[in-house]
Order: sequence, then structure tokens, then C-alpha cells
Amino acid sequence: MAMLEVNHLSTEFKTDNGIVKAVRDVSFKVEKGEVLGIVGESGSGKSQTMFSIMGLLSGNGYVSEGEITIDGKDISPKNYSEKEYEKIMSDIRGNDMAMIFQDPMTFLNPVLKIGTQLIEPILNHNKISKQEATERAIELMRKVGIPSPETRLNQYPFEFSGGMRQRIIIAIALACNPKIIIADEPTTALDVTIQAQVLDLISNLKDELDSGIIMITHDLGVVASICDRINIMYGGKVVETGTTDEIFYNPKHPYTIGLLSCISNPEDDVKKELHPIPGSPPDLLNIKENCPFADRCEKAMKICKMKMPEFTEYSDSHQCACWLSHPMAKGKGE
Amino acid sequence: MPKPILEIKDLKVYFGGGGFIKKAPLVKAVDGLNLTVYENETFGLVGESGCGKSTTGRAIVKINKITDGHIYYNGVDIDTIKGEDLKQYKRDVQMIFQDPYASLDPRMTVGEIIREPMDIHNIGTKEEREQRVRELLEIVGLKPDHIRRYPHEFSGGQRQRIGIARTLALNPKFIVCDEPISALDVSIQAQVINLLEHLQKEMGISYLFIAHDLSMVKHISDRIGVMYLGNLVEVGDAESLYRHPMHPYTEALLSSVPIPDPKTARQRKRIVLEGELPSPINPPSGCVFRTRCPKAMEKCALEKPQMKQVGDRKVACHLYDDK
Repeated sequence: MAMLEVNHLSTEFKTDNGIVKAVRDVSFKVEKGEVLGIVGESGSGKSQTMFSIMGLLSGNGYVSEGEITIDGKDISPKNYSEKEYEKIMSDIRGNDMAMIFQDPMTFLNPVLKIGTQLIEPILNHNKISKQEATERAIELMRKVGIPSPETRLNQYPFEFSGGMRQRIIIAIALACNPKIIIADEPTTALDVTIQAQVLDLISNLKDELDSGIIMITHDLGVVASICDRINIMYGGKVVETGTTDEIFYNPKHPYTIGLLSCISNPEDDVKKELHPIPGSPPDLLNIKENCPFADRCEKAMKICKMKMPEFTEYSDSHQCACWLSHPMAKGKGE
Repeated sequence: MPKPILEIKDLKVYFGGGGFIKKAPLVKAVDGLNLTVYENETFGLVGESGCGKSTTGRAIVKINKITDGHIYYNGVDIDTIKGEDLKQYKRDVQMIFQDPYASLDPRMTVGEIIREPMDIHNIGTKEEREQRVRELLEIVGLKPDHIRRYPHEFSGGQRQRIGIARTLALNPKFIVCDEPISALDVSIQAQVINLLEHLQKEMGISYLFIAHDLSMVKHISDRIGVMYLGNLVEVGDAESLYRHPMHPYTEALLSSVPIPDPKTARQRKRIVLEGELPSPINPPSGCVFRTRCPKAMEKCALEKPQMKQVGDRKVACHLYDDK
């Protein structure tokens, strides 16, 4: 059974100018022990999808449609009253589901000791003594590779470097053996050599833990090195989904193809010319229900501007939502 | 033999050290850097945060004061030039900043932003300036009728284009690009990189391209310099440096770059460096990299390695002492 299942999730934000449809009809599954990458540019809805799942949307945002289940348990907001939902979620957050945030400095409280911040979630979700919780915290710090955890426990966040802080955040996320770990750009704020350390840590943990990991990122290099499957998001929708190999070596959606041809691979012998995608991502305010990429797509047809395409299956794992894969569009894709 | 446009000799930029009651610690951001950029060349400067790469760039455009050493532009020491020559220098050498949201004044229209350098340097009549602004907008791929809009009406990539148009207003010969693409989305990064390459071809501009994203640096640069804690550790031709890194730090840095190709990524062995960048307030003795270096020897703690020519490369490491 899938650890996390999301079906037809839509999230909207009420603003003074109208309704912003940040997430539109998104469905996916995360299995035990797998890393799902969610790739998209800013404003593609990748972070809002995760906030919707965690129940952490800001005040004017709400889930308008869709079902979410975690390890078989229904956590769709629409099936509960607001109070019930909050109660369920505060139990699930940190326990079944944990999040690793992008910026380690703003996530940690600067006036609390690292130990306090690490022990708090353990005490909140388990019925154990403070002594046991401290031992568990030390064990976690060892697991994420922090030297001399006994002394480090009594230090403040400012005494830690960026990479070490990110390790602490990972330790906090692991505190209650969550079923799902959501990592939102966990390495973007880090230097390359530190990024390599953290990515190594995440892929080692993946084999050790029984959790599914969701990795939100815009860096295709990071995705290629640790993800098993990838969802490509654009304009609030998943436009293509497949295994890492399928996405990189057999991309079907024009946006995926465009994304791959505008990054440079340093391993290439001949200097490749970059082919940027012209234009910029769509405005999600009062967006129409057609293909969101149609305005930037070189191969766009009339239908693309009128109707959203259905998913076409290329294999059990590989699906793409594009009118070019429709039998009537034969030959137009080349 | 290509002509050098910018030569940096033994550059030192220190911060702090002052203070009234207690002396503040001295941060040696750049400590004895030597570097030459040739005409019509892109020199990529890479390194982790805190290695002094941005400080070097800012010293060139005279934002940061030079503590010691010299920067020669076309053979003239930039510290000694004054008056009209200094004005000319400031016309010739421009900078593109990292954050397109912070580097444009939100209360000025795009036209005013791009025209401002021409106003300051008294170039042309009002009509000519207006005309030039329209031209520049077209060069960087924006529409001339954007002239009366404000920065907030544009996306990140478009704002970076406005910043580029402003730097181009005075026909510069040398541009310091300080992480010009790291704040942009992937599909937009390529647009800006292609624009920079196109401008170089058309106008023969030299770039000092500062970045931490090695794959883009390798793409755009002719030569690359790798910095660590205030100094260069290796300089060489982009392709050859990437294929055969000599300095242990370059090797580790390159192996940490995530490769956007799952098959290569799976096969590759990463050299994961232990620990983090030491503080530039109190750098290690001898070779500054020795505390993290997997190949460190006894000698590394005692003696600071000097930059020397090894084959086609310049490298500062004791491993190559007898070669």
C-alpha cells in the first residue's frame, strides 16, 4: 500500500484580485522507501501542493477538492470540520509526516538550545521520560553525522554552520520515524560541497528508514542523483510523471523537453547550445482550464488553448498530459 | 597572444581591524590574489560562499577598498587614476548584480533606471538618450514600450535583463557578473546566459563571471579559477580543468556538482569533504585547505604553497612541488 496517496487535489487562494488556482487536479502516490522528486519553477505549485497535504496553507488558501490518505488514513480536509481537521493534523504532523525546510536559519528558533528544539517533538508525540528523549536526541544527532552530540545539544543555532543546521533539521524531521518526509529544496541554501554531504545523508537514510521521501526542487542535477520517480509540475498541474530514467532519457511533454535542453551538463564533450524556453510562467490568477504551457509551447495547436489534455500512458509509470500524444495529432510532435 | 585587459597583482582586501575600545578581528576576505583576464574572454570564478569571490569582483568596480596590492586595467593602476580617467574607467567597467529584485530602484521607471548612467556621465542629448534606452531594451529582448513601466511589473528574468541593459548603457569593455543567474528559474537562466554570450560576440566584452553553479560556469567560461578562503588554488582552461582537476579542492568541488544525468550520477563517486570552510578571521597555517584535504601532508601545515605553472595549468599545491 502506498504511504501517501493524493487524488485530484486542488488548492485555491482568495485574493483581492480574484481566485488564484495554485494547485489544479494533482494526483500522485509515494511508496515506502522511495524518493519522489517534484520539479517545477517558482509558481508551479510544487510547494503549495505540499502545504495542502500538511494542512499548512496560509490564511486565504484552502483545499477546494481532492482526497489525501496517509498510510490508509484519510486526511482530506473536506471530510472533516475545521476543528476536527486541525486536531487530526496536529497529531499527524511531526509524527506520520515531517517536513524539511529550505532555510535552516529561519526554521530553528535562535533563542532555544538545539537540544530543546530536538527533544520537544519527541516528548510531544511519545510517552517517554525526558531522560529517554535526550538519549534518543543524541542518537538522532549521531545518525545525521553531527560530531560530539552530547556537547552540541547544549549549543544554540548560531553556533552551528549552515550544513550542520540542515542536519539538525533532518534530525528533527526523523524524530518520530515519520512515514512521509517532505523535503522542500533542502539543499538550495547550501554550498556545493555541503550539498553533497546532505544529499549523501538523505540517500543513506532512505535505505535505513521505512519512509517515503518527497523531494521538492528545481535543480535537475539533485533530482538525477537521488530520486526514483519524478513529477514535473507546471502552472499548478502535473504535466508529466515517470521514473527518473524515463523523464531524463525519454521525455514526452514539450515543457520537460524544454527544461532538459536549457540546462548544461558539464559532462558533455562538445559545448551544447542552450535552448531556453521563451516567455515566462503563466499567471495563476483566474487561469483558464487549458494546457498551462500552451502560450510558451512551440508546438501548440488550437486545441491546446481550449482544453486541458488527458494523461496518455507510455508505460505503467510514465504518463504525460499533452495533446501531441493524441492519435489525431500524429506527426505534429516531430 | 591575447592582450590582458585586467590584471590583479597580489590583491588583499581585509575587513574590520578597527574599533575604539576593543580591536575588531581582521577578516582576510581576499589574501594575495593574482589573476589576469584577457580581452574578449570570459573568466569564471568559482568557490564556496565566504571564499572571497564576490569581494574580488567588488574590488574591481571599486565598491570595496583595496587593502594592499594592485589592479591594473589596460596597464593602468586603478588606485591611482583620477578625474576624467576615473570617469572613463567607471564607464568601461560595469557590474551585474545577483538579485534582480534588490538591485533596481522600485520608484524609478525602467527608462529612468537605464538612462541614469548616461545622465551621470553626460552622454548625448535628452533625445539621444531616450533613443539609446529604446535600443538597449531591444538588445536585451524587452519591448521599447516597456520604458514607462516600473520594475515590479516585471518577472525575475525580465528584471535581470533590465539590469543588463543598464550596465550596457555606457558601452562597457569589462563586466563583472556576480552570480547573475542564481536567483532565476532554470528555464530563465538559459535565456540570460544566451544573452550574455550573444552580447560578448557582438560587442567584444570581457566578463568576470562569479558563480557557485559549476555547470553553468563551465558552459560560459573560457578559463576558470577556483577560489578557496581568499585565494586562488587552481586556474586553467575550462574544459581541461573540468576533465583533469589537479588541486584536491578542485577535484572535490567538481565531484560534488550534481550532474543532470541519472546514469552518470549513479556511477560517479563523490569525494565528500569533511567539515566546512574555516573562518577567514583565523585561517589555518600553511595551506588553508589542509584541514579538509584528503591528501594533506606534513609540509602543508608548515609552508604556504605558491602558485606555479604545471603543464597547461596554474596550481597552488605541495603535491606538485617537484614537477
